[in-house]
Amino acid sequence: MTETVLALKGLTTGYGQAPVVRDVDLTIDRGEILAVVGKNGMGKTTLLKSIMGYLPKFSGTVSLSGQSVSDGKPHQIARLGVAYIPQEKALFQDLTVEENIRLALRGSADWNEARETISRCFPFLLDRLRQKAGTLSGGEQKMLLMTRSLAVGAKVLLIDEITEGLQPSVISNLVKIIQAERDRLGLAVLLVEQNLSFTCAVSDRYVLLDKGEISGSGNTRDQDTHAKILAHISL
Amino acid sequence: MSDVNLKEWSQARHLRPRASPLMRMLVVATIALIGVGVTPFFIDAYSVNVLVRSMIYASIALSVDILWGYLGVLTFGQSAFFAAGAYVTALIFTYQGFSAELAFAALVIGIAVAVAMAGLVAFLAFWHGATDLYASVITLVLPIVVTQLLFSGGTFTGSSSGLTGFETVPLSIEAWFWVVGAWLVILTSAAWLYTRSDAGQLLVAIRENEQRCQYLGLNTSNIKAVIFLICASIGAIAGWMYANYTMVVAPEIAGFVFGTELLIWVALGGRGTLFGPVIGTLIIDYASAHLQGDFPFIWKLVIGVIFVSVIVALPRGLLPVASSSLNWLRSLVIKAQPKERTPMQLRQASERSSTAANEGGGAALVVSGVEKRFGSLKVLSGIDFEATYGEIVSLVGPNGAGKTTLMTCIADGLKRSGGTISVAGVDIGHRPPNQCVRLGVGRKFQMANVFDTLTVGECLQIARARLDGLSKWHKSGICNLPQSALHIIRATGLDNDLDVPAQVLSHGKKQALELAMVLALEPKVILLDEPTAGLTKAERTLIGTILTELAKTEQLCILLVEHDLDFVREISSRVIVLHQGRIVLNGSVDEVVNSELVKSVYAGSGH
Amino acid sequence: MIATILDIITTAAILYIVASGLLLVFGVMKLINFAHGGLMTLGGYAAVIATAIGVNPWIGIPLAAIFGAIVGLGMERIVVRSLYNRPLDAILATWGLSIIIGQIITLVFDRGVHFAEPPIRGVVSLLGESYSTYRLVLTVLALLLGLGLTLILKGTSLGLSTRAVIMNEDLARGLGINSGLVRTVTFTLGSGLAAVAGALITPLSSVYPDMGTAWLISAFMLVLVSGSSLYSLAIASVVLGGAQVIVSGYFGAVLGGMTIAALAAVILRIRPQGFSYE
Repeated sequence: MTETVLALKGLTTGYGQAPVVRDVDLTIDRGEILAVVGKNGMGKTTLLKSIMGYLPKFSGTVSLSGQSVSDGKPHQIARLGVAYIPQEKALFQDLTVEENIRLALRGSADWNEARETISRCFPFLLDRLRQKAGTLSGGEQKMLLMTRSLAVGAKVLLIDEITEGLQPSVISNLVKIIQAERDRLGLAVLLVEQNLSFTCAVSDRYVLLDKGEISGSGNTRDQDTHAKILAHISL
Repeated sequence: MSDVNLKEWSQARHLRPRASPLMRMLVVATIALIGVGVTPFFIDAYSVNVLVRSMIYASIALSVDILWGYLGVLTFGQSAFFAAGAYVTALIFTYQGFSAELAFAALVIGIAVAVAMAGLVAFLAFWHGATDLYASVITLVLPIVVTQLLFSGGTFTGSSSGLTGFETVPLSIEAWFWVVGAWLVILTSAAWLYTRSDAGQLLVAIRENEQRCQYLGLNTSNIKAVIFLICASIGAIAGWMYANYTMVVAPEIAGFVFGTELLIWVALGGRGTLFGPVIGTLIIDYASAHLQGDFPFIWKLVIGVIFVSVIVALPRGLLPVASSSLNWLRSLVIKAQPKERTPMQLRQASERSSTAANEGGGAALVVSGVEKRFGSLKVLSGIDFEATYGEIVSLVGPNGAGKTTLMTCIADGLKRSGGTISVAGVDIGHRPPNQCVRLGVGRKFQMANVFDTLTVGECLQIARARLDGLSKWHKSGICNLPQSALHIIRATGLDNDLDVPAQVLSHGKKQALELAMVLALEPKVILLDEPTAGLTKAERTLIGTILTELAKTEQLCILLVEHDLDFVREISSRVIVLHQGRIVLNGSVDEVVNSELVKSVYAGSGH
Repeated sequence: MIATILDIITTAAILYIVASGLLLVFGVMKLINFAHGGLMTLGGYAAVIATAIGVNPWIGIPLAAIFGAIVGLGMERIVVRSLYNRPLDAILATWGLSIIIGQIITLVFDRGVHFAEPPIRGVVSLLGESYSTYRLVLTVLALLLGLGLTLILKGTSLGLSTRAVIMNEDLARGLGINSGLVRTVTFTLGSGLAAVAGALITPLSSVYPDMGTAWLISAFMLVLVSGSSLYSLAIASVVLGGAQVIVSGYFGAVLGGMTIAALAAVILRIRPQGFSYE
């Protein structure tokens, strides 16, 4: 029995008056990892920002576990269990590692549980809790981002290009962690990626976004997926 | 959605018949002058007396409106220029006595002092990169400094009690009423003509989008400074009248509180309407004089409450509300006639000799060793490439590769951290954007960057302002454009929308308009940042065809940042691949398409 | 010499107290609260009321805090909230609010000058100088205020949220922080601080409906050169306050009165980020 966690219906959104994403239908089930692939500038980030409530929805709906959140503000959507990892400026560089995690903890979410998550996923962070986030290396910052999203007990993760600029070893570690936590917590993950090997390794399904519209989808486990997607996103 | 806007707008604009603006202005001004002439015979002496002062205040409120309502400079400092005019006059009359020559000298010196102060303020407040808030802060500091200087002048300036008892121009109260009234009518008419001329639209353009103006080759800091000096002179003239009329000056007239009072009158009347601030000042100051005696504190309280409410709920002030309700009433009575107006005429600009340079054969753009750092973060390093006339070079690469940053470095000589860039054989050095335009750089931004409240025709005129100048007293109704810009306008159907405000255009048409504005600059090198973003397939094809033609017929050098790789493949003569701030490949379309390196950059496994 | 140094220190302390509320509001909301002066006036009258009803003059301070916070909360809810995207209009609207506060005070009291009983009188002997005890007490209070605000910002979860909103409001919202609430709380706190500052300076300046205006400009300029950092504000208070004391000493109080504004304008022209280190 699958349970739909995040559902988009006919979502059209963009900046000002110009629609960037048009008429997108998507559903993600509990425990599923879906990758949105496509060239630069095709509306992938716009899609995530709109789900998160940063951008107005021109038409269509977004619902979380059946509850409509189309008019939700970012902080309300975050409190309903959606954790968003933007591509840029995703950390407070001048705050410590601990403060960056504590900020995301709401009400009942407990620092001790957060510590458990850290020690399970990226234990090295425990020694660096008092260090400023800006002094971490690029890869360490991404791990902190991952930790922060997992520590808040989110149901849905929205991840925007987390692998940009990362070494292959770090990327494969991320794949492991994301899948393990998905299995443990039943997370639903929507990720936007340029990195094909990461996409194919981590996700279950993909959709292709082309000029703001979904132009294809498939199972990432298929043999020829890598080649198929590459044909779409490269020159 | 925008099509609906367009339709509503074109229906709304046919509401009211209109005579030629100049005629209307003359009629209104004549009526106003007659009004000024007869008023003293119908009202009591006290009211005449009060109204003279109100009209002096109205003339300076008008200058605040030009600065704030049109140019977008929120100024707290007009009071200082007013005080300059008033104190110079009072000091001369106090220490030299009165004579007609001295009165004239006082006027001239007062203006000179005000202009000198305004020059200092403009130097501090208007420079490439200064924020609106900073400019306001400087205008706020000015009255504070001037007030303190007046206080510290001791017996010379009369310190806190000011100067009084000096002899002034011997006119009766009625005569002053006529002089000041006529001045106010003339000043308002002149301001009205100017703000409705082509050059007046430039003020609005600067307020709306100063950056775009700079990239159209206009030195906005200078334009702002000149307007600021003119407004300072208006303030000084008002001060001269004030000192002559009231025969008393005190430091309060220089102060920040008086400066904000002017803003309150302008805001209540309606910023950016000229008449609103004038009428607002007259009504409020006149009413204050009458009511202050009976209800001194309540009256000021009421003004405060109305002021806050207007700022929050009716930021455009009360005049627009009044006039639109008047129009509504009128439309109930009279059926509106479609108004006759001559649409903007587009003409072909005469060919300039600049094409000679193109035939010289040298590179249009040479970039060598360019780097850009933000603190310790290197965004670009070791960028070397050339591009020649007639070439379309595409810059591609993943997000964050530094493509837009590179464009910015080419269009603004102040932006790069190292290396040299030359355009048509001239090193751009540290030239700001408006001077880079003079060298032949035209830049189109990623998000359509036009002047929203101006019409399409006006946007194009502003784009031509550097080459053709702008009429300062009327709407010429003519815009000369080079062949390339005309071609885009016609191909996209914009020639039917010349009287339409740019904000109601569809996204695609806005992009086309901006491209036409850039071409109107007659550039040699054009930088296009994602010209197809958000366009439909058909629009994309059209833009692609036009760009290819332009490169061929006009021998333009086109540098393009583009995410739509199909588009890149179709139109580019060469492709440069940027990755993490470096050029990883510079070659033909085929070379790039077949490159394993590029594939790995895009697949994300290359590092 | 000793007296001058003490003057500089105490002047800096007073400026710090006066500007800190404005700085908090500017940091979080990126807008200038021109009602800051009016709120200071309100605080001054709270001290006058405390004197009038004959309670301990120290009671005037919490009374001012309550007045300021209530009025500030109302202003944020009714007016300021709708002007977040219009920073220049926000300056004007809050100036209008300041006028309203001033006129209501004039209606309740009158236009004249009032006096509040100072909490402490007299002088103490310090390093061979006899110096106003109250100014020294204010210096201690400024230190406590700086310490307290730092503790709130660094030590509490609301403070952490506030700092997050200052640094990157969009990101903070995405992490579930209700930035609207943070803004309301900050404005209320900033208004309360303004009123407290107004009450604290009553022994040094007479109380009249326009008393806040002169202070507003100094506070405004200090905030502009300090960015949104309490440390930078401390430095700016010492540098600009020190300059004011020295200019007043050599050229008279009148020219001293324009020192802060003029110097700050020049500093911002040379270094737009002022004393903040970013």
